[in-house]
Amino acid sequence: MTLVKQRHSRQKGGLLRTMLTALREGDLATRLSFLLMGCGCLFHGQIGRGVLYLAAQILFLLYLIFFGAPHLMKFTTLGTETQHRVFDEEEGIYLITAGDNSMEILLFSVVTLVLIVVFLRLYASNIRAAWEAQSARCKGNPLPTFRDDLISLTDRRYHALLLTPPVILVFIFTVLPLVFMVLIAFTNFDKAHQPPGNLFTWVGLENFRNLFSGSGQTSTTFFRLFGWTVVWAIFATFLNYLLGMAVALMINKRGIRAKGLWRTLFVIPIAVPQFVTLLLMSQLLSSEGTGGAFNVLLQQLGLIQSPIPFLSDGTLAKITVIVVNIWIGIPYTILITSGILMNIPEDMYESARIDGAGPFRTFFSITLPYMLFVTTPYLITQFVGNFNNFNVIYLLTGGGPLSLDYFQAGKTDLLVTWLYKQTVDQQNYNLASTIGIIVFLVSAGLSLLVYNSSASARKEEQFQ
Amino acid sequence: MMKKITRLAALLAALALLIPTGCRRKSDDGTVTLKVWGSGEDQAMLGEMIEEFKKANAEEGKTYNITLGVVGEDEAKTRVLEDPAAAGDLFAFSDDQMMDLYNAGALYEITRNKDTIMIENNEGSVKAASVGDALYAYPITADNGYFLYYDSRVLSAEDVQTLDGLLAAANRAGKRVYMDVSNGWYNSAFFLGAGCKLGLTDKGKQTCDFNNQNGVNAGKAIKAFCADPAFVTGNDAVLTGGIGTTICAGVSGTWNAEAIKEKLGSGYAAVKLPTFTCGGVQMQMASFAGYKLMGVNSATKHPVEAMKLAEFLTNEENQIKRFETRAIGPSNLKAAASEAVKSNVALAALAQQNAYGVTQREVLSSTWDPLEAFGTAMEAKSYSRTVEELLNTMVQQITA
Amino acid sequence: MTVGYRARRRTANATIYFLLAVLGILWVLPIVYLVILSLRGESGAYLPYLLPKNWSLDNYRRLFTDTTLFNYPRWYMNTLIVSVCTCLLSTLLVLSVSYTFSRLRFSSRRKFMNTGLILGMFPGFMTMIAVYHLLKVLGLAQSLVALILVYSAGSCMGYFIAKGYFDTIPRSLDEAATLDGATRHQIFFRITLPMSTPILAYTALTAFMVPWTDFIFVSVIMKDNYQNYTLALGLYQMVTKENIYRYFTAFCAGSVLVAIPVTLLFLRLQKYYVEGVTGGAVKG
Repeated sequence: MTLVKQRHSRQKGGLLRTMLTALREGDLATRLSFLLMGCGCLFHGQIGRGVLYLAAQILFLLYLIFFGAPHLMKFTTLGTETQHRVFDEEEGIYLITAGDNSMEILLFSVVTLVLIVVFLRLYASNIRAAWEAQSARCKGNPLPTFRDDLISLTDRRYHALLLTPPVILVFIFTVLPLVFMVLIAFTNFDKAHQPPGNLFTWVGLENFRNLFSGSGQTSTTFFRLFGWTVVWAIFATFLNYLLGMAVALMINKRGIRAKGLWRTLFVIPIAVPQFVTLLLMSQLLSSEGTGGAFNVLLQQLGLIQSPIPFLSDGTLAKITVIVVNIWIGIPYTILITSGILMNIPEDMYESARIDGAGPFRTFFSITLPYMLFVTTPYLITQFVGNFNNFNVIYLLTGGGPLSLDYFQAGKTDLLVTWLYKQTVDQQNYNLASTIGIIVFLVSAGLSLLVYNSSASARKEEQFQ
Repeated sequence: MMKKITRLAALLAALALLIPTGCRRKSDDGTVTLKVWGSGEDQAMLGEMIEEFKKANAEEGKTYNITLGVVGEDEAKTRVLEDPAAAGDLFAFSDDQMMDLYNAGALYEITRNKDTIMIENNEGSVKAASVGDALYAYPITADNGYFLYYDSRVLSAEDVQTLDGLLAAANRAGKRVYMDVSNGWYNSAFFLGAGCKLGLTDKGKQTCDFNNQNGVNAGKAIKAFCADPAFVTGNDAVLTGGIGTTICAGVSGTWNAEAIKEKLGSGYAAVKLPTFTCGGVQMQMASFAGYKLMGVNSATKHPVEAMKLAEFLTNEENQIKRFETRAIGPSNLKAAASEAVKSNVALAALAQQNAYGVTQREVLSSTWDPLEAFGTAMEAKSYSRTVEELLNTMVQQITA
Repeated sequence: MTVGYRARRRTANATIYFLLAVLGILWVLPIVYLVILSLRGESGAYLPYLLPKNWSLDNYRRLFTDTTLFNYPRWYMNTLIVSVCTCLLSTLLVLSVSYTFSRLRFSSRRKFMNTGLILGMFPGFMTMIAVYHLLKVLGLAQSLVALILVYSAGSCMGYFIAKGYFDTIPRSLDEAATLDGATRHQIFFRITLPMSTPILAYTALTAFMVPWTDFIFVSVIMKDNYQNYTLALGLYQMVTKENIYRYFTAFCAGSVLVAIPVTLLFLRLQKYYVEGVTGGAVKG
């Protein structure tokens, strides 16, 4: 089995063509592989591989019969049998018979569908393996043994070995749940259709229609929160970035002593878990009663008469969350940028100085471009992270102050925190999932665009 | 080629992990396995009660295997609905979750000894636990409401009769009056007191008339209250932090009784809520009379035993035990009639206020946020929109 | 001229020292106040004065003696176990993924990379309930293993910083090793990894911090299994309406005890963290 041949069969449509050829020209073993996976391999002495194929088929069928099919059969309706009960005179109670559970049906249908796709790929590869074994045998080429297969996993196919565990985990814990959540957006799963007592079912694009054209309240709120989310993400990302860089520049300036001490001072807040600092901050900044410690301090200093509503006035709260986020975020930027700053080639500055450039020009023509070049991936991560920054908002203001301008949302609510309230407090799963899809599309599209056109992505091939 | 093998291994692993589900958990040998959900603070007490229950039911030839789980009353709905099958067979919850749990089909209708339960517990609690004529939960407590705590060294019994008198006296003393107006549960006291109603339509939608003339009067009373220099708002920590020093009176419930008693010492006093000026007339502030209930999970495998246990955990004896251990106000009439309960300052005030109590069972969870938004606007003294306008928007959101 | 320049620089530096001092105080003050609160004898969250009137270590003692309601020691252990395991597992996973994307070439590499990148952007808690039900089917619901798996799986998508680092290690080293007959596995473990201490430390540190901060996911996965709570959730419970009066200062004490080991670890690994995240730029 030469490399060239393998490449060949992997081309587009190659798999299907191989299967047809195998059906037409295959020997008994190869044809048997269509029924019982692994037969081809077993007949040609590739025992290990054959056994694995066979075991996969058996396990898959068992799974399908006992678990997958019962759920999958109800996939189109998401269940028809509601919970019902009959009175039992003897015990004096109702006997409750559980009905279909739409949520479980949907979830496990998704699981089953995904497993079927994976299985079909495997099935096809089983045929190909049989066919390849047969043709190799005909030409008298030696067949790779199971041992050879395993060894190639540490070398030629090392990527398969390295990627398999993460891919399995991501499939189970991210992809499957994600497909499930996406599908929820096309159902009427809300408070009125809550299992186990009720069923929910498919409603097509109704949720999207409602969100964009519906009664007004929800869509207005959506667009307002979307606007604030974008503003917040921009401020939280770039303000932190610039201010962090400014502090880093100060620390790294020539002639400033105790650089390590300064850096350590700013790093300590990172080490305290974020939810603690956030909860603490919301206590310190509170204006309730005589106010939190910060307000008490200002009052004792005689600067103010009554507490400033840092967190309970809409506009002020927006500013406060951005400022507190600076407190939380800057340390990271300081760490990162001071590392980079130390590495900007000194001669670049030297020549700029000879050209008579002042500190500001040097910053904008040398430091900043260099920084941006190195930190683009970091900035994208930050931006998307802030777009979905649940913790800061939820722990600091809880989205509040609530306002009647919004529907079930507050002035500092981001789309994600609103989404969380919609699921946990209001059980509007379908609405939440519809919004989730939109948030996802925006952030994914944006970051793919920026990442793939950024210097960092292009730089990738530079070393190769 | 190897990709196939890894993919194969992956599929095998996934399948092997997924298969064992069908054949798990079967125990049918006379052992009754039950799980009870209660709040963290109740665990030790519930443990003792369960031991008593096992002793009392030892002779039946059944072995009881009863475990405890920590899920607070406020969280019960969320946790139960996430996965009813894994939830407690019995779970304690506060009565504002009743309709959501009932609509989701998570509650078992209580039919065993229904009449006894209905007679032995006070009317409000039974109503809170029922839908129509059917009973869906066991009342545990009748103390999930609010009333007025005050410092009797600063305020007289006369002062606390009216909100105006209260504020005047507080202003004279240079102290504050606390109420969390930016919280729908509390600020409804004004609307309900003015005669407004929250209800449910046949389809289970919320109805609300807080924007009628009475409601507007109540809204204006809230506005005036918030604008008073003595007014102070905040969460519970503000009250427990300031009472006795900066705060002389505050609206709260029994869960703060211990902390407030500690702070006020000899000045510790409690009374029903005051009256307030509403469209020129004095109206009594109403309140939500909240109850804590014990529900039986509709997915339980042992409904008979679960009901037996729930009945035991909420009977007269155990309600007295709750009172003795944690000063929880009983819903059981006989337990509530005891001298000890009557002489408990906080519970006595609550009982007094409960005459003006309104059940919160007909309030859906989506109602609280618009109410809170209104209260927030009043507290912030942002008057860019009139009270009428705000209330119209609020009602529109509540009934949406 | 020189004197003027020097004087100017001196004033500039003085301004910088002043600014740094002010900012430094602003940054450390809340943490210092957290420590002060943890030593306060009076209970309750808000007080009309700043400094405690009674100082005591009682809050710390309570965390370890009064464990019926808040089993602090047990939760501390849980968090430590989850953190260490997550740290090991997810470092292994993240480095595998990033090395693969950086060094190995295979047909659907781009597809995998882009998929990974965008998958990481879906708001995670949206899928919590689905994840819970899958864990339940796997028989792992309400266990610490579940947390480790979920956190580690979540970290896989954050491969690009590590990938950026690997991108900067010269390929010529690999090629030389290949000529000497080394397999890719050997190259990864014997050549690349030893040169990657910074990114190793960065990845490990990031992964280690996750379990100390998440409380929402834990509450969905653990539900009533109180014994398996992690600290974040446990501490969060201390400041609920019912508990805040009694336990606010204990919450502060508990937080300080969490912060100490993490701070020490962070200060020790700070250098690597910087080098890791800035990748080749640092090594120039």
